[in-house]
Amino acid sequence: MKIRVPEHVSKGIATLALVVGGFTAAATIPVSASAEDFGPIVAQEINANKAALGKRLFFDVKLSGDSAISCASCHNPDKAFTDGLPLAKAYPGSDGFRNTPTLMNTSHKKVWFHDGRIGTNLNDVTRESITETAVMNMDMRLMQERVKQDPVYVQMFKDAGYGEPSNGSIRKAIPEYLKTLTSRNSPFDKGEMSEAAQRGFDLFKGKANCAACHSGPRFTDDKAYNTAAPTNADIWNDPMRHQTYVAFAKFMGIENYMNLRRDVGAYIISHKADKSDVGKFVTPTLRELKHTAPYMHNGTMESLTEVVYFYNQGGGQDVNKDSRLKPLGLTSPEIKDLVAFLETLSGDLLTSSEHVWDQPIPNSYEAYEDWRNIAN
Amino acid sequence: MKTLTKTGIFVAGALLGFAHFASVAVAAENKLLPLGDPPIPGDNLQTDAKIELGKKLFFDPRLGGDASTACITCHEQDQGWGFNDALSRGYPGTVHWRNSQTVINAAYLGKLFWAGSSKSLEGQAKSAATGAVAGNGEADLMEARLAFIPEYREAFREVFGAEWPRISQAWMAIAAFERTLIHNDTPVDRFLRGDEDALTDQQKRGMDLFNGKANCIACHNGDVATDERFYNIGVPPSDVWDEDGLAQVTFRYELYAKGVTQKMYRHTKDDPGFYFRTKQESDKGKFRTAPLRYTMYTAPYMHNGAFWDLREVVEFYNAGGGENEFSANKSDLIKPLGLSDEEIDDLVAFLEGFSGEELKIDAPKLPPYAPLPDVTAN
Repeated sequence: MKIRVPEHVSKGIATLALVVGGFTAAATIPVSASAEDFGPIVAQEINANKAALGKRLFFDVKLSGDSAISCASCHNPDKAFTDGLPLAKAYPGSDGFRNTPTLMNTSHKKVWFHDGRIGTNLNDVTRESITETAVMNMDMRLMQERVKQDPVYVQMFKDAGYGEPSNGSIRKAIPEYLKTLTSRNSPFDKGEMSEAAQRGFDLFKGKANCAACHSGPRFTDDKAYNTAAPTNADIWNDPMRHQTYVAFAKFMGIENYMNLRRDVGAYIISHKADKSDVGKFVTPTLRELKHTAPYMHNGTMESLTEVVYFYNQGGGQDVNKDSRLKPLGLTSPEIKDLVAFLETLSGDLLTSSEHVWDQPIPNSYEAYEDWRNIAN
Repeated sequence: MKTLTKTGIFVAGALLGFAHFASVAVAAENKLLPLGDPPIPGDNLQTDAKIELGKKLFFDPRLGGDASTACITCHEQDQGWGFNDALSRGYPGTVHWRNSQTVINAAYLGKLFWAGSSKSLEGQAKSAATGAVAGNGEADLMEARLAFIPEYREAFREVFGAEWPRISQAWMAIAAFERTLIHNDTPVDRFLRGDEDALTDQQKRGMDLFNGKANCIACHNGDVATDERFYNIGVPPSDVWDEDGLAQVTFRYELYAKGVTQKMYRHTKDDPGFYFRTKQESDKGKFRTAPLRYTMYTAPYMHNGAFWDLREVVEFYNAGGGENEFSANKSDLIKPLGLSDEEIDDLVAFLEGFSGEELKIDAPKLPPYAPLPDVTAN
């Protein structure tokens, strides 16, 4: 069965008959797109000078507190701006508790981070990532002065129309660069799908009902759900990861943070009294999946087949699990078809100099000559 | 002696003309006293367990941003419990912008840091561990790290009685440890307690100069040998800032972070010191009088490490101080002293009498992280 949702409800809540694996149920669910919404990501207008500046900043370790890591340390272009690890590495002295999300098409998102805790813009996301203790741990005032000490930046900021380097314009330039990270040349967008992939697409929209959440050009509705994905025991067995989560939960105002043994997900920002948001995570994009294993917010699944099996069994076990997650009854060939479809959503890696700053960036600082007589 | 008396009268006369120096001008207060035990704050009493915990925390780099910088990193035992470079080491990727002061006898001070921005050792520890060019640590994360070190959990429970370590308690324990780093049995202390043989004849001549012709006593007085007031003595700006790009970065950062006007941010090239706390033009370039004990081990000297030995310091004062960007605020106490070479030698010899045996301890073994036990209910 094909689910069709009229355009006018695409941003609201619709009640519809849901057919999942032979079970029919009436459910109130958010629907954000129709099948027709699937399609290529529209490239955005870019200010070339600002984006070039943002690109250099993205690859520059000077933007972290101890100058050890850059944005690209975790968001590696060779892996579609992920790191290939189940859980991110984090700032030295800490270790991460979530899987690094791809930055492909990130400028089209409406909420950021797996828990959706930022819903404004990439300027705020950039600020959060640079300053967060376990991410880059940078005092942005110091960052500004480091950047001002680099003559290449001084010229680039001028060329970008920002005047002298400032922490404010750093947080504008990086999002401008991120706007250039647009998926291109996927078999799906080029209409080059195998028959198996085409069958998989029909399952995606129909029997498997993935499209209920994975909708739109990026194949996500940017909303948080509880699929009862398994917890990653490495977070709670490893003091370095666990302490990082404790600090995060404490900072975000979660009660009883010392006794948590699970990632509370979207609850970290909503603090809903009934705790119905505990364990919800934002629907991830399905673009570039071939390059971004392992999967899920905590990297617990190594392959797309594993992910499809997980949904086919109706997700995991949790009191808050979304009611739509039910056994799908997909056969083995259907699972293969669905995986074949998911693989068509991956396009070119953006690893050329168009997207990668491939010149050396000095991590030392030349003194300004005649320092006493020039203006700071 | 006649010359000395004249100078003394002259200085006192000059001081009386300036109301804001009135209290230091009272000659009776201007004497050195032997150093007793440090004051212990009533809300952070010393216990053996607290001191032992504080010692470990002092050495533990996990109380810093990337777990690489402990208190000991910039206050190294074999560098006089300070750091033997003009400017302190700073957090990785940075250099600090002031000289690292010794921790020895910090327990006696009511004004910590060069511009007195902390009033207690507890407050100083917190500021040092969190500043971007010092420890760059963040309170929530450092507190969380402590909870994952079973030996610390146990020690905090024993010392402070709480289930989980609190970062504020870590600063209290570190302060308690620092209150054991005491240096009060120096030749000068023994002499002041009545042991006539504690100082050599040369040192005694130096002491007379200290109290008289050189008038060091005007500010370096009392039991701690500092009046803990703020003066601009004309220390020249650090030449590190002329040559080192990283130091230029930090210098601008400090202006930016501490809050100055746009004009000051653009044009200031010297450390405004006490100005940052009062925002009074007249306080630019002022720093708190430094204590003198343990100085044999704490070179270089001054807030920016401008001088590399005590003789250089004395020669600086003998020349009537120097010039800096804020020389309009230079203290009237700083005038050419007319000391002969021999007198300089005597004064340096006396200053060396403020240092006894070097203080060294065994570095503690730091306890490891371990996973937290499971909980039954979330």
